[in-house]
Amino acid sequence: MLNTFIYWLTQKRWLVFAIMVGIIMYNISAPAGLSIEGYRTLIIVVMAIILIIFEPIPLPAVAMMILIMQVLLGIDTPNGVAKSFMSDAVFFIMGSLMLAVAIISQGLDSRLALGIIKLTGNKTWKIVIGFIAISAFLSSFIGEHTVTAMMMPVGLTLIKNSGVDNRSTAKLAALILFSIAYGSAMGSIGTPSGGGRNVIMLGYMKEFGVVNISYLQWMKYAYPILLLEIPLAAIILWYTFKPRQLILDSAVRKLKIHVTKRGSMSGNEILTILIFVFVFLGWVFFSSKVGLGIIALIGVFLYLAFGLIRWEDLNRNTNWGVIILFGAAVSLGLHMKDTGAAFWVADTAINWMKMISDDVSIIRWFVAVVLTGLLTNLLSNAATVAVIGPIVLNMGGDTLVMGFSTAIASAFAYLTVVASPTCMIIHSSGLIDKSDYLRAGWKMFIMSVLVLFIISNFW
Amino acid sequence: MKFLIAVGSKEFSEPTLRVGLQVAKAFKAAVTIAYVGPKISEFSTSQVRFTQERMEEWEFDRPGVEVLEWAFNFLAENDYITPTTVEAGFPKNTLVQTGGNRCEVYLQGTVCKDVNLILRNGDIIAELRDEVRRGGYDVTIIGGSQKRRMAHDLIQYINSSIFVVNKYDQHQNYNLLLPVDDSTHTPKAVKYGARVAQAFDVKVNLITVSKTDSFGEGYTKASQLASKMMRRAGIEHEHRFETGDPVEVIKKTAGDNHIVVMGASTKNPLFKFFTGSKPLKVMEDCQCPILIVK
Repeated sequence: MLNTFIYWLTQKRWLVFAIMVGIIMYNISAPAGLSIEGYRTLIIVVMAIILIIFEPIPLPAVAMMILIMQVLLGIDTPNGVAKSFMSDAVFFIMGSLMLAVAIISQGLDSRLALGIIKLTGNKTWKIVIGFIAISAFLSSFIGEHTVTAMMMPVGLTLIKNSGVDNRSTAKLAALILFSIAYGSAMGSIGTPSGGGRNVIMLGYMKEFGVVNISYLQWMKYAYPILLLEIPLAAIILWYTFKPRQLILDSAVRKLKIHVTKRGSMSGNEILTILIFVFVFLGWVFFSSKVGLGIIALIGVFLYLAFGLIRWEDLNRNTNWGVIILFGAAVSLGLHMKDTGAAFWVADTAINWMKMISDDVSIIRWFVAVVLTGLLTNLLSNAATVAVIGPIVLNMGGDTLVMGFSTAIASAFAYLTVVASPTCMIIHSSGLIDKSDYLRAGWKMFIMSVLVLFIISNFW
Repeated sequence: MKFLIAVGSKEFSEPTLRVGLQVAKAFKAAVTIAYVGPKISEFSTSQVRFTQERMEEWEFDRPGVEVLEWAFNFLAENDYITPTTVEAGFPKNTLVQTGGNRCEVYLQGTVCKDVNLILRNGDIIAELRDEVRRGGYDVTIIGGSQKRRMAHDLIQYINSSIFVVNKYDQHQNYNLLLPVDDSTHTPKAVKYGARVAQAFDVKVNLITVSKTDSFGEGYTKASQLASKMMRRAGIEHEHRFETGDPVEVIKKTAGDNHIVVMGASTKNPLFKFFTGSKPLKVMEDCQCPILIVK
């Protein structure tokens, strides 16, 4: 019995730590300039960050804790918390996760493979650029993990047919799989629908009364970053994991044989693409009126109505825990704004920055971007934007640039396995070592910050 | 009896599997071979699982299956499974999801009773603890780890005897070292030691270590019982009485050419958590396989 308790305690030490931190903070009086409600919101933020990073309890439990504490600590009424929990951003996250399941289930990965190979030929460096570019392009519309899931079997087919054992293809495996994962991560900044965090930030911008950005305007700002990053990422990855295999002749041939077995496109595959094009057009032309989330749900409705996916499959493969957590994180973000907690944190941060220099415009930008990028690698990108977003929008300066840069920086998930589902998916192949993420990731991180700095200041 | 053998990879786990199966054979135990893959962050579980399902359509196995396939081949080559099972080949398709992150496949054993192969993902201690609780295993067998914390957690939290196959060399001539004292787990350790000695056909060195020059009645009785048991089992043995720090004496005597079998500590769990125990200290530093009997 005692041993079981000790075991529980060691497994749940971060939960105990979070509760202790919460109790200590609760018993300290609120700092000057911050309301009681704002201070209590910050207590929840600190506890939630600890619990999300170390995962001592299931993520939906963290979400429930956030919602419960908001009511019990008197931050808002039960109905107020419930209202803030569901928004178009959460609809979008739910819809995009379901769209991903519907699209991947159709087996379009074979078509994709054939397209890539036709485009790139059999030289390894061309294949790498092709993988990065196509992953980036696709993920800017349909979400990064969807693309990684579709590209992964294509990449693995090339890797497995390129050498006799894992040791001889280790660098090639890292090169190809990181091309997919990082390409997808980079691409997710391209459009608002590239990631739930973009939609969360758009929602906050609306709340803060910042100018409304349309789908195409977002692309106009974000795509130049993406186009610059693609060749730079290819160079970084090539020189970090330069493979022995410079030509993948037989692997490409085997891949072609594999995919041509599938025959011509089926009706379901064509319908899947048509519905997605319809959804994409909806995002471009109607999202400002109807909302990105509702359009994503229309797409899911159509896939279900046309029988392209069964509800059982959608239900089984949708990460409901993540949806609930993001809903709670958005609710927490909105309460940070309403209670003045976000303003207080932003103001305190600016005062600290002024100790370094009176002109904080550049420091402010770097702090927002680097902090977002680092937290993304520890928390999750959407949770990071949900928590950091309201603070950044209160930091002053050009709120459009600050908000947009924060959303973009939340895609810099290069440094750790847990940074994003794309990183975890390639790690689950068993071919990527944890240390590989840092080997290539820090270069990618610095490159991305610099490119973002150049574009946000000169575009 | 039921044995759980935890394997890590094809490259490093062969000694663990070889020794584990040899011991299980001596006990005529049912054997489960488990591979525990890396933990998947909760943010990505659905996406990773879904991607793995897609990969199966491309005829790629989910990670870890190749380790189980290697274990299957090892069992087949060494006649641990029936010829019909071998003929049917590795039953990848019958690898069934048995809840959460656990997959299982059943094989028909020969010398050992049933042989199961299990695939899990997560924290190794948590997964092994859950598996032991679920299957009611008597002994958990695992390869040596460089991490000191691992030894501590294995002894503290796994509710079965623990056999750590540390630095096992197939070509080495091992003897069995059996520390005997008046603790409650010693009689069981002696029984297990006798079986292991029979399995490997080795001589047993019984050792009783006292911190002082005198050996109490409990020590004398325990050592007499141990000698008697070895004699009855027809095992070649000798008994030594040593003075000094038990941990140091045991480690020094064990060297790299003994398999150590000793009883687990009966200290209070809280005390063990903070200060450790004799078996833990021996396990952390010894250069040979060690079985801690609970």
